[in-house]
Amino acid sequence: MEHTSTLERVLRAIAITLVILFFIFPIFWIVLMSFQTNETILRVPPSIVFEPTLQNYQALITGELDTAAGKLEFDFMSNLFNSFYLSTASVALGLILGIPAAYAFGRLKFRGSEDIAFTLLSFRFAPPLLVLLPLTIYFQKLGLADTYFGLIWVYQLIVLPLILWIVRGYFEDIPADIEYAYRIAGHGFWATFFKIALPLAMPGIAAAGLLAFIFAWNNFIFALVLASADKQPVTVGALAFVTASGIQYGQIAAGIVLSILPTLGLALYAQRYLVEGLSLGAVKG
Amino acid sequence: MTDKYLRLENVDKFYGPIDLGVHAVRNVSMDVAKGEIIALLGSSGCGKTSTLRMIAGFEATSRGKIHLAGREVQMLPPVKRHVAMAFEGYSLYPTVNVRDNIAFALKAARLPASEVDAKVGEVAEMLEISDILDRSPNSLSGGQQQRASLARALIRSADLFLLDEPMGQLEPQLRTLLRGRIKHFLKERGMTAILVTHDQTEANALADRIAVMEDGMLQQYASPAEIKDRPANLFTGTFVGEPPMNVFPVRVSVEGGKLHMALEGGKELVYAEDAFAPEVRDAIMTRRDIVIGVRPYTVRRDESGVEATVLTNQWLGDQSHIAASFAEATVVLVEHDRADVVVGDRIAIRLDPSDLHIFDPATGMAISHGRGLA
Amino acid sequence: MSIQLTDIVKSFKTDRVLDSLSLGVSRGETLVLFGPSGAGKTVLLRLIAGVIDPDEGRIVINGVDMEGVEPEERGIGMAFQNFALFPHMDAHANIASPLTARRRTRADIEDRVNEVAELLKIRHVLGHKPKELSNGQKQRTALGRALAAEPSILLLDDPLRNVDAKLRFEMRLELPRLLKAQEATVIYVTQDYKEAMALGDRIAVMGAHGIAQVGTPEDIYLTPADTTIARLFGDPAINLLDVVPEQGGGGPEIQLSGARMPLDTAYAGVVGRPCILGIRPETIRFTEAGAPGVIPVEIEAETPLNEKTVTLAATRAGREILISRPAGTPGPDRGTAHIAIDPSGALLFDQATGKRIHPGESA
Repeated sequence: MEHTSTLERVLRAIAITLVILFFIFPIFWIVLMSFQTNETILRVPPSIVFEPTLQNYQALITGELDTAAGKLEFDFMSNLFNSFYLSTASVALGLILGIPAAYAFGRLKFRGSEDIAFTLLSFRFAPPLLVLLPLTIYFQKLGLADTYFGLIWVYQLIVLPLILWIVRGYFEDIPADIEYAYRIAGHGFWATFFKIALPLAMPGIAAAGLLAFIFAWNNFIFALVLASADKQPVTVGALAFVTASGIQYGQIAAGIVLSILPTLGLALYAQRYLVEGLSLGAVKG
Repeated sequence: MTDKYLRLENVDKFYGPIDLGVHAVRNVSMDVAKGEIIALLGSSGCGKTSTLRMIAGFEATSRGKIHLAGREVQMLPPVKRHVAMAFEGYSLYPTVNVRDNIAFALKAARLPASEVDAKVGEVAEMLEISDILDRSPNSLSGGQQQRASLARALIRSADLFLLDEPMGQLEPQLRTLLRGRIKHFLKERGMTAILVTHDQTEANALADRIAVMEDGMLQQYASPAEIKDRPANLFTGTFVGEPPMNVFPVRVSVEGGKLHMALEGGKELVYAEDAFAPEVRDAIMTRRDIVIGVRPYTVRRDESGVEATVLTNQWLGDQSHIAASFAEATVVLVEHDRADVVVGDRIAIRLDPSDLHIFDPATGMAISHGRGLA
Repeated sequence: MSIQLTDIVKSFKTDRVLDSLSLGVSRGETLVLFGPSGAGKTVLLRLIAGVIDPDEGRIVINGVDMEGVEPEERGIGMAFQNFALFPHMDAHANIASPLTARRRTRADIEDRVNEVAELLKIRHVLGHKPKELSNGQKQRTALGRALAAEPSILLLDDPLRNVDAKLRFEMRLELPRLLKAQEATVIYVTQDYKEAMALGDRIAVMGAHGIAQVGTPEDIYLTPADTTIARLFGDPAINLLDVVPEQGGGGPEIQLSGARMPLDTAYAGVVGRPCILGIRPETIRFTEAGAPGVIPVEIEAETPLNEKTVTLAATRAGREILISRPAGTPGPDRGTAHIAIDPSGALLFDQATGKRIHPGESA
């Protein structure tokens, strides 16, 4: 009854391998590309046999590239720094704003709380471009365009709803009696928030923070429109490789690899939190 | 064959590979006669539910044989074993009303509608659910759902009825009455039933014989009276019976033709040497250190006894439960009238030799009960 | 009065859980709130603790009106049904939490935690997190936390609900001593009538419409206000039979299964009135045929119950009667038997309202 046949096991293994190949292949191919010159990348038919070169990475780090059309200058390392700065600051601000709000929505159940929470979530439904057009004008008038502050502010559109909805689920999952018990023991509202609610929701907060970081890191359109060269993150910076004389596939691939690495590292480090946080968010949200 | 209607022969259950996985049921053998009601009793994780599920066929039997009504069934799928089962978690079909839930198996067997109605009516009346037959399962309380689930199992015709924690959710005021009715119902129809329960009260009330399980092993398989009067070991002795059996470690010596049992804290129980049968006395004397057990309702208050101080006296309407500090421990007495002692009173406790259960402190196995060897 | 509740109203959305409830608890008293789930027992405790607020009514604790007083300022100890231990703190920190809130010195806290742990026999697990504790230890830790700061008011919300039968029994015997030693005013919530009778100086029985009866365990068991309360106390539950008392030779009497049972003459007023006769199973004896007032019954099943033997029998008219006797005493276990009912323990209730008829009451 609960035994599985050998055939079943083999079929299952094949199916799993296919699925893994399907998801891993693009990443695998990009990693390969990042070690090739444009010429080997573009040969027909493509092959996975080639002479590996670090030239793409070298170019990214030094910021200079010799192409057929001449010397190309760009500043990938400062893009990487921008990505770090923007994502970290956005998530930090998102957590500071989002956690108390999530607690309020999850626990206090004031009048209209459901509507407000839903409205906040609905920011995620709107196509970013729709928001961007009017925003650009306002930002220019207010002098916020092309500032870190302005970008971080706009990034809250990505970060805040995510943090709010995941963390709120965690707060709701803490039995109210535990908080009541702490109050009755003689501790005030804020002490209860910091000593009970916050530590118990920590896995959710960590998961939400990580997800928000990844979403912020991968954002393209906000920075494309609102930031100039010296403030743009890697996602936008990679555009520099689309040049008049052709597309620098090797550099793009290396750029992608470099920009994936931090988020991948973070995700692996906190995999447990992530999966837990995602599934909980799914159930609760 | 009727006294071996259901037979388990050296049944083992492993979760995981045989001999390597978790050994949930260990070499259990038992016979059930046709028309008998058996309770599998134990705390959670003792293997009782695994045993039931192996009998039902929901769980593969890792080793051993199961015979039912003259057939070897351990390899058969559940549907071919011809057993009916009521589940702990109610498991009513949520889309149809209570009546159709109960009648499900009968309708599937294409019984005439009038017969189905009559049977449903009868069992519904017994379980006090006549007034909720047309309701949907979701609108019922836990107790009502459980009664509906019981009705659905009991109405079937089957070789064997398996009831998994059938009354855990029942309303307390109904429990005793329904136990009486269900027992009457099963007996009147000569139905063979096995129920799994962690509640020794329920096992005692319903079962002809109780199989006490712990650590996957069958500890004792006997009638409620036998288990009460002659528990096989300390586990059974203290697990079955409410209030639980009083247990004290003692050291035995003979002085001046009297048998002294020294309790902790310097007090002694003194018995005439002939108070115990010679073979019991020998068994005690060869060990010196023994554990005595005494049921709360056999503890007597008597001037000549050992002194104790009343800690609480709780009147429950038809019984008084008294706890007294006694030999560095607490002794519990049950009296069927309202006891007049109050907290702090000095009372004297007498433990009659005929009421003593004596256990080996190392193995926990019973040495003797009253005057006879175990 | 240590706690005085006046006209408390509390609704959740459209569901009015407490409707104009008033209740007083004296200093040092243990009051048991008893009733089925959904009767509002837990809500009442939470109102007193201050974690939720009443819609209407006044809560006065030790002479102080509690309106606007936060839970942490009320000086109450509370134990929860699900324990509600702080999962990220060890047992020691859990028990110490009321003491740290009161800014006791470290040495003071250490002493008191050890004292409480000693009393509850959990010193050896003080360093364990809640998930490493057994259910019994969790329950004791929760109790320890409630007792730690020696509050003058203790609220215990069905603290024995989630522990096994054996432990529940032990704690039932142990709790009165613990509570009396605290000299606190206690409100104890339970659904178990034995706990209610064993622990309560008084019992407040809660029904669907607020408090149905308040009284000592004797009051409630021997003179329940109505059939619902009568059925809630006692296991096996009281036998309730529809009867119409008649005028007999020596006074009012009841026809049961062809036999006549005389009633106390004080019940003269109920002749001809449809009543419910309430007979506790332990007041029925098996006896020989032939004696006056003896009722023949058919035995259906015998079920042992905690040092008692309970017999389910049916009268000639098919009415079920439960009879209980001490285990080990002789009694028939099948066939026809005869029973005698002690009329002095019989209760009469009005058939229409279910309310108990007092002796001397007229129709």
